[in-house]
Amino acid sequence: MNNCESVRDLLVLHAEGELPPEQKTQVENHLIACAECREEAAGIDKIRSWLAEPALFAPPEDYSWQFLPRKLSERARTLPAVKHWLPANLGSLGWTLSMAATLFLACGLIWLTQRQTPAPVPAVQVEAPGNQAFLGKIQSAYAREMTSQYLGQCQDLLLNVVRAEKSCEGQKYDVSLEVTRARDLLQRKRMLDSELRAPEVAHAKDLCDELEAFLINLSTSEKCESTDKLHGMERFIEKEQLLLRINVLQAELS
Amino acid sequence: MVLEAMIETGKALELAPSTTDDLMSRVQRGDMNAYQELVRLYQRKVFRVISGYHRDPEDAMEVLQDTFLKVYTARQTWERRTSFSAWLYRIAINASIDRYRRGDKGRTTSLDDVMEAQVQRSPAAGTPHTPLDRLRDRERRRFLEEAVRRLPFRQREVVSLRYFAEMQLDEIARVLDCPLGTVKSNLHKAVLALKNMLMGQKEVFSYE
Repeated sequence: MNNCESVRDLLVLHAEGELPPEQKTQVENHLIACAECREEAAGIDKIRSWLAEPALFAPPEDYSWQFLPRKLSERARTLPAVKHWLPANLGSLGWTLSMAATLFLACGLIWLTQRQTPAPVPAVQVEAPGNQAFLGKIQSAYAREMTSQYLGQCQDLLLNVVRAEKSCEGQKYDVSLEVTRARDLLQRKRMLDSELRAPEVAHAKDLCDELEAFLINLSTSEKCESTDKLHGMERFIEKEQLLLRINVLQAELS
Repeated sequence: MVLEAMIETGKALELAPSTTDDLMSRVQRGDMNAYQELVRLYQRKVFRVISGYHRDPEDAMEVLQDTFLKVYTARQTWERRTSFSAWLYRIAINASIDRYRRGDKGRTTSLDDVMEAQVQRSPAAGTPHTPLDRLRDRERRRFLEEAVRRLPFRQREVVSLRYFAEMQLDEIARVLDCPLGTVKSNLHKAVLALKNMLMGQKEVFSYE
């Protein structure tokens, strides 16, 4: 390897000790012969040594660090815990009943919505663009719509987890698509953050936070997961009635 | 006593992953002493990682507290097969990005601003009693911190986890949920980007 360009592409990893032995030797041989690349390598070493200085981004020493653990521990005690998919007492019968209840309630909501006679629509006052109230209405509608869409996507994902199939080796469940989707939804949740602060979607925010904990776990799962893990997730969805609560909230938001 | 002192100062203390995992298991059982010990062990390192996203130390401190509170409230979602530190830094990065998106993004200072401030505080500008070397060191750090904050998100994450959280590259890949090759590539780009940003500032940096 005596091409400077290809050696320079490896200098950072060389400095990090991340090159396989053969490449490492090639880079080192090249550095012995090439002064320009040696200079480049020295610059990289310098940057790395500065980055490794403990004083960089050092925490302020005047802060009372020794009290923080106790302070946080006292605050933490007062906060409600996000629950995990603890093994529920309900077996498969409970799961079936819960799903049936979810479907029943969803159908009921749809039926009720369609059955209701539309109330007389009050005359809509068309307000001048720029009017604060008008903008507020648009923002509120947008927040509801975005939140509802997000919940719908979470619901699809939850259903996919429930329906995952044992198509991996060793009778494991293939959740590779669900893991990727969970990562996407975590990103989306961050982008939704400002909408979720709207008072109209206050209820949804709590559920979205619970879903976030679920998504974090799903996103760190293996592509092929064991039966225990999958059943744990299913029980969590069931125990926390996530599907049902999403349905109810979507109905509220619409 | 020595161990306690080391924990207090956050210096040179590295516990084996199994030890921190054991502590976290105790936290899951509601042991608040174990929780306090974990906070003590990680508070400074996490602060450094978070500072890569927030210039204002008060913001960074709030995010730090949010992170540890989330560790407690979400304690039952941690699974022993995931390393505690990977899980912790993932929460810290999520919290930092959330906070950044909520409104801290306008506060980034340009490198030119940092340079200007440095010139204003140079010995010639009225601090003759400060040793020049110390001043240069401080300014160099300040400049480098700002340069790190200007890196694209992914590169900044990799740099923070590698140098401030002192994680191995394969651990970083697990925290960021991406292939090892992506981590290596981002680290390479980040170090070169920093080098390019800093090479032009001869007043602060010298490479001899």
